[in-house]
Amino acid sequence: MKEIVVISGKGGTGKTSVTASFAYLSSANTVLADCDVDASDMHLLLKPELISSEDFFSSDLAVIDYDKCAGCGKCFEVCRFKAVSYEFNKFKINANNCEGCGYCSYVCPTNAITLVKQNDGNLYISDTRLGKKLFHAELGPGAENSGKLVAKVKNNAKKYARENNLDIVLVDGSPGVGCPVISSLSGANFVVLVTEPTTSGVHDLSRVIQLVKKFHIKMGCIINKTDINYKTADEIKKILTAEDITLLAELPYSDNFTLAMIKEVTVAEFDKGIKNMLQNAWEKINNLI
Amino acid sequence: MKIALTSTGNSWDSKIDPRFGRAEFIFIYDEETKNNEIVDNSGVSEHAHGAGPMTAQIVTERKVDIIITGNGPGGNAARVIESAGIKVFTGAGEMTVKEAYDAYKNNKLNKL
Repeated sequence: MKEIVVISGKGGTGKTSVTASFAYLSSANTVLADCDVDASDMHLLLKPELISSEDFFSSDLAVIDYDKCAGCGKCFEVCRFKAVSYEFNKFKINANNCEGCGYCSYVCPTNAITLVKQNDGNLYISDTRLGKKLFHAELGPGAENSGKLVAKVKNNAKKYARENNLDIVLVDGSPGVGCPVISSLSGANFVVLVTEPTTSGVHDLSRVIQLVKKFHIKMGCIINKTDINYKTADEIKKILTAEDITLLAELPYSDNFTLAMIKEVTVAEFDKGIKNMLQNAWEKINNLI
Repeated sequence: MKIALTSTGNSWDSKIDPRFGRAEFIFIYDEETKNNEIVDNSGVSEHAHGAGPMTAQIVTERKVDIIITGNGPGGNAARVIESAGIKVFTGAGEMTVKEAYDAYKNNKLNKL
């Protein structure tokens, strides 16, 4: 079983459009995992039918037991998130501000404050119109993606792949270089970087390359919207050569990315030229893993 | 030498867990006493963030000399491990614990 993770560093480079197209182009023995849970939108293109749903508990919320609370206000003093307020002769926790750090609970002299795990969202398993299973998740308002959530989504997908003798787990990773990205990279066999020739595109690509190098995972890169700035695209290609990263495809800027989204299909299903380029890229990836 | 291997189970035949921070088990083999200690690391996975440094703490507390894993630790965990003077070997992601140990003995793994 091989795990292919698509990441971008910068958001808006076309990562999910590319991943969904690979989902369409891949063989039947592929399982899909959407680990970009903060903005999970691959499902919009794949029309999933829900098979199962599971609650996901992760963040902590401080809760005051008023039978024990002595009203000393130590919690109010130490909270740096302004989550403790004093109203009607009572100290109160504002759930929206509480980060679950536990400082208030630590200093409370009467042990009146406990941390309670919150239901942050749901983990899903779905059938997609492509005939492949999709493992994804949805967060509640204000809840954030985490390494833990990404690991759960990926573990579910990998377990299913193992049990059904499927070869490929295709992961839509999250943007940035933080905890969720690290979690989506750990255990991966190949990383696809999707970038664009803009200043921030190059900057974030460089950061994410440094991160992937720490994990010694082979990388390939897709430059999207190449023709919006050939000079910067050349700069990207120089970085790829210096870092020994395979250039998988150079896609043009195309309104068809958006038009495909509006039609709820992948861009590979909508634009034959882009399909051929991505097909080619997918074959290169399969030869490299 | 005391060697820690990230594993998915508690025996020599278990597969290596290619992940460091969220590895399911830490299989520790003491070459001098020939004893193994298996640390159930599943508790770390319950933490939303900071899994790498937590696992790094577990291995440093047990005073291991060598870590064998798949992809290798991330930046934060690597800093902890490095300052503790522990050497890391990667590339064992698709082996069993036994195969990974043998590969290390035969210099077949990559030193970080």
